[in-house]
Amino acid sequence: MSYSYLFKYIIIGDTGVGKSCLLLQFTDKRFQPVHDLTIGVEFGARMINIDGKQIKLQIWDTAGQESFRSITRSYYRGAAGALLVYDITRRETFEHLTSWLEDARQHSSANMVIMLIGNKSDLEAKREVTAEEGLSFAKEHALVFMETSAKTAANVEEAFINTAKEIYQKIQDGIFDVTNEANGIKLGPQYQTGGPSRPGAIDSGKPPGQGGCC
Amino acid sequence: MSWRIFKFFESEELKDPDSTNSFHSLLSRPNCGITCFTCGRGQMVLGDSQGSLHVLTSFSDILSTSAYLLRVSLVYQMRQRNVIITVGDDEDLMPIIRVWNYEKLTKEGIPTLSRSIPALIPNGRQSSVMVVCAHESMTLMAVGFKDGTVVTVRGNLMRDRLSTMKVVHSESTPGVYATGLGFRQVKNRTILLISTSDAVYTVDLTLKTETKLDSIGCELGCSTMTDHTQDYKFVIARSEAVYFYTPEGRAQAFAFEGEKVLLRWYRGYLISVVYGARGSSARAAAKSGAKDVMTVSVYDIQNQFVAYQMTLNGRVVDVVSEWGSLYILLRDGRLIRLEENDTKTKLETLFKKNLYPTAINLARSQSYNDGLIDIFTQYGDHLYSKGDFDGAIEQYILTIGKLEPSYVIRKFLDAQRIHNLTDYLKALHKKGIANADHTTLLLNCYTKLRDIDQLDAFVTESHSPTFDVSTAIHVCRQANYHRHALALAKKYKKHDSYLLIQLEDLHDCDDAMEYIARLKFRDAEASMIKYGKLLLTELPDDTTRLLQNLCTDWLPRGQTPRPEDVVPDWSDPALYIELFVNHRHHLTVFLEHQISTHTSGNLRDVIFTTLLELYLAEIGACRTPEERTAKEKRALELMQRKNATFDLDHALVLAQIHDFKSGILFLYEKAGLFQQILQYHMEHNDYQSVMATCKRHGRKDPNLWVQALSFFSSRRECKGQIPEVLQHIDEDQLMPPLMVIQTLADSQFSTLSDIKPYIVKHLQKENEQIAKDEQSIRQYRDETGRIRENVKELQTSAKIFQMMKCSLCRRGLSLPAIHFLCKHSFHQDCLQDELEHECPLCYRDNRKVLDIIQRQEQTAGLHEQFHSQLQRSPDGFSVVAEYFGRGVFNKRSSSKSPGSSVEQRKA
Ligand SMILES: Nc1nc2c(ncn2[C@@H]2O[C@H](COP(=O)(O)OP(=O)(O)OP(=O)(O)O)[C@@H](O)[C@H]2O)c(=O)[nH]1
Ligand SMILES: [Mg+2]
Ligand SMILES: [Zn+2]
Ligand SMILES: [Zn+2]
Repeated sequence: MSYSYLFKYIIIGDTGVGKSCLLLQFTDKRFQPVHDLTIGVEFGARMINIDGKQIKLQIWDTAGQESFRSITRSYYRGAAGALLVYDITRRETFEHLTSWLEDARQHSSANMVIMLIGNKSDLEAKREVTAEEGLSFAKEHALVFMETSAKTAANVEEAFINTAKEIYQKIQDGIFDVTNEANGIKLGPQYQTGGPSRPGAIDSGKPPGQGGCC
Repeated sequence: MSWRIFKFFESEELKDPDSTNSFHSLLSRPNCGITCFTCGRGQMVLGDSQGSLHVLTSFSDILSTSAYLLRVSLVYQMRQRNVIITVGDDEDLMPIIRVWNYEKLTKEGIPTLSRSIPALIPNGRQSSVMVVCAHESMTLMAVGFKDGTVVTVRGNLMRDRLSTMKVVHSESTPGVYATGLGFRQVKNRTILLISTSDAVYTVDLTLKTETKLDSIGCELGCSTMTDHTQDYKFVIARSEAVYFYTPEGRAQAFAFEGEKVLLRWYRGYLISVVYGARGSSARAAAKSGAKDVMTVSVYDIQNQFVAYQMTLNGRVVDVVSEWGSLYILLRDGRLIRLEENDTKTKLETLFKKNLYPTAINLARSQSYNDGLIDIFTQYGDHLYSKGDFDGAIEQYILTIGKLEPSYVIRKFLDAQRIHNLTDYLKALHKKGIANADHTTLLLNCYTKLRDIDQLDAFVTESHSPTFDVSTAIHVCRQANYHRHALALAKKYKKHDSYLLIQLEDLHDCDDAMEYIARLKFRDAEASMIKYGKLLLTELPDDTTRLLQNLCTDWLPRGQTPRPEDVVPDWSDPALYIELFVNHRHHLTVFLEHQISTHTSGNLRDVIFTTLLELYLAEIGACRTPEERTAKEKRALELMQRKNATFDLDHALVLAQIHDFKSGILFLYEKAGLFQQILQYHMEHNDYQSVMATCKRHGRKDPNLWVQALSFFSSRRECKGQIPEVLQHIDEDQLMPPLMVIQTLADSQFSTLSDIKPYIVKHLQKENEQIAKDEQSIRQYRDETGRIRENVKELQTSAKIFQMMKCSLCRRGLSLPAIHFLCKHSFHQDCLQDELEHECPLCYRDNRKVLDIIQRQEQTAGLHEQFHSQLQRSPDGFSVVAEYFGRGVFNKRSSSKSPGSSVEQRKA
């Protein structure tokens, strides 16, 4: 399907906070109750619509375990948006946010929009981090904040879409240079103006007869 | 820290079959190590260090060809055609690419060598070939060199023509070498993916652009192309992970650790071979220096598990797939076959380990849909047994449509897991396969949980109902969720239920009224018949008005009439009368309205009768005579209406009960009951009216006068009337005088003087009559005497026939002749056609006499008639006399023969 923009996202945060589940809920509208540890980097994609414009979100789901950091870090580059996820039922995942934030700021572009996500809001009884704490952390670090549940899908759409809106606004404001792919934004094929020799002018395509997944 | 490991393949080392020209004999030759190995198109291809190319169509069917003088170093099998590309040396440092056509074999069975191209870099630099790859179009080939250069060769590979070689990638960093190549077609662009020892590139051969996808590379043999299950991605393996690429850039990455030796793709599986034993870390493997221990892993990338893993003692040359299996070739000549289990077996393995989610994913990826329901069920059962009811119900919901719902419902009812049960039942409804019991249960759950939101949602559900509406209404109502029941009833037009709830439960008559007013005619009619009584009690005025509309011309409220509604519906008002018990006033209003509206006479008599009853009841309650007069007037007017029809008997009874005089008389008259009218007046001693009645109806029923006579005669004060009555009786001869006298004689009050004129008049008349009769008697007696003499004469004296002429033809008589006693004579011939026994001239008169006699005799037998005539006749004697005359008392068989005719023939 054709799109006006492609935004690249990364999802980061401690292991088990529900990053893969958030992605699965957003792309497939499904929930996976069993923890399938991510052992590298996976990705998914979905089309959304903002201001009547088709926007393709390419989302990179990274492994949260410390031992995979060396692999996952290289995927931060060129992301326009990041979902920094913690688990409201596990305080330590909230406490690790600072180190994740440092990592992200260090390896990605300065303009990257970061959305702070307190996941598993459905497990109210087991909550260890209040929403106020989440909010004040976000304010302190100039992040957007939201609590979600990958299980009930509460706020999941909003998390991804609001991030996209933020990015889109930054484009409108001229903060993002859309021609520089290092920013994690790509113009859709029909919006491109560059010559044929420009690198990356390759459309995502498949062999004839193949259905697309993203 | 990694994916789960299964054993979905069975391994088997292929031992030597005793054929000489076998695969094993090939492998076990001394000093001729196999250098390269590939497969495809139902055959395996091997190159060896002696320059031979071996093609196996089976393990015992080998075609060996000498391809190079020195050695074969690379083989590449085309898929679309049976063409093999080789790289090898005839002499050192002179690599040559050869294209072998196996579709065209010589008589000796040697394949045709289609092309032979020196593997040179166009600028003349020399380097050995590391990797080769061809495009399936057979017009493009790519060659990767040890110095990192990648060259494309264009031109038909099957024909030995000049070809264009072009450098598409070169390296500036020394020591970097090409390690992998792969073609991809993206729409009409041809893309070449290149891996080197330190980077990954994508080269668009059509647009002539190059992009560096990654700045990490891989070793020789450690890159491959996936199939459609992973979107034809390019994959490289490094010691820390395997990385996937699309022509545009990076895709996913998996941290499969270990120093990689080989990377292959087989039908959705990624196969990697690493140094070291299974489970040992890369570092440990490197430290131990155990280069001869390798581990083969088969990864299911889509479902994220390891399908098979095996550690081997020995160096793996390659892993190829052919003839439906995987083959691991070891340097020492061993060949191990890996055979994949079928899906069912795999699933069973997963079940045993309770790995249901994996089983579900696997079944889905293999399109094993029939088994899925079974997995969901088993998974549900498993979670249920573990007490994970939330999880279990999720699985059971997936079985809807296949698994019998009662199985699930019973389980959760037993466990009193109402929340879960609710979810399940909701899903049943969503799928549209819920029955009435399910609906009942679901609503009971909602009400039990006091889940108003869900109830609301259920009720406002916009699509067509997936449940039994009546049941739903019933359940909501029973649970006192009247508002919901009401909403359902309204939505699905269950008018009856709606009204029932509104009236019986919520007691909102105004709403019910408004609701009915908006219904279509038939519905409104049915509703009013059912609920009219109740509504009348609560809202008598409105209800009466509505009923009036219903019985005249109905138009649902809020609806503008359409042309097809021009002929209005109206209901029979008689249907509603019984609703008005205890509402006499409103019934009166209602009926009056009906009567004044329906003027064309199409109302049933019960309408009028009922209204009359109402009117008369009011009469009874009147206090002043004026009031009563007014009411009576109204009632009478009702009866006198042109279109009025009554049940007369009923009306009469009513009028009598209420002593409604003018009504009674009106009804008597209407019914033709003049006797009763008379009787009525007599009872009320209304002499004038008695008289008037006789005068009015005396013609129709003469008996009235007779009754009047006996009535008046019994009243002292009525002497004055008697003469008039007698006059009428006399005129019409209603009574024999004897009876009149008898009647008056019975009276205590009549005196002889009262009837003297009458008697005198009659005696006179009698006398006159007697005189007349006596005269007649004399006359008849004379006549009889004469006739008797005549008869005597005929019987005793001879008759002389003196006629000279025939009475018919008037000519002189001649024999034979016939003479009749009547003195007529005829030629016999003249009588031919006539009756011979009777005189043709006299028979007509004779016949008349005979007929009279006969008739008299006949009527004499009709006793009935005689008696009735006797009774009816004012003068019985004359009747008896008449019958006597007719011969009632004669013997039967009296006069049969016409005695007046005598036959005589003259011979
Ligand atoms: N109740 C609840 N459980 C959740 C939610 N999101 C994720 N989980 C569970 O948390 C566990 C971990 O979820 P994942 O999405 O696999 O975690 P992850 O962040 O991807 O972990 P890594 O891949 O190791 O980085 C799984 O068992 C999920 O079922 C949520 O919103 N609510
Ligand atoms: Mg994950
Ligand atoms: Zn005659
Ligand atoms: Zn005669």
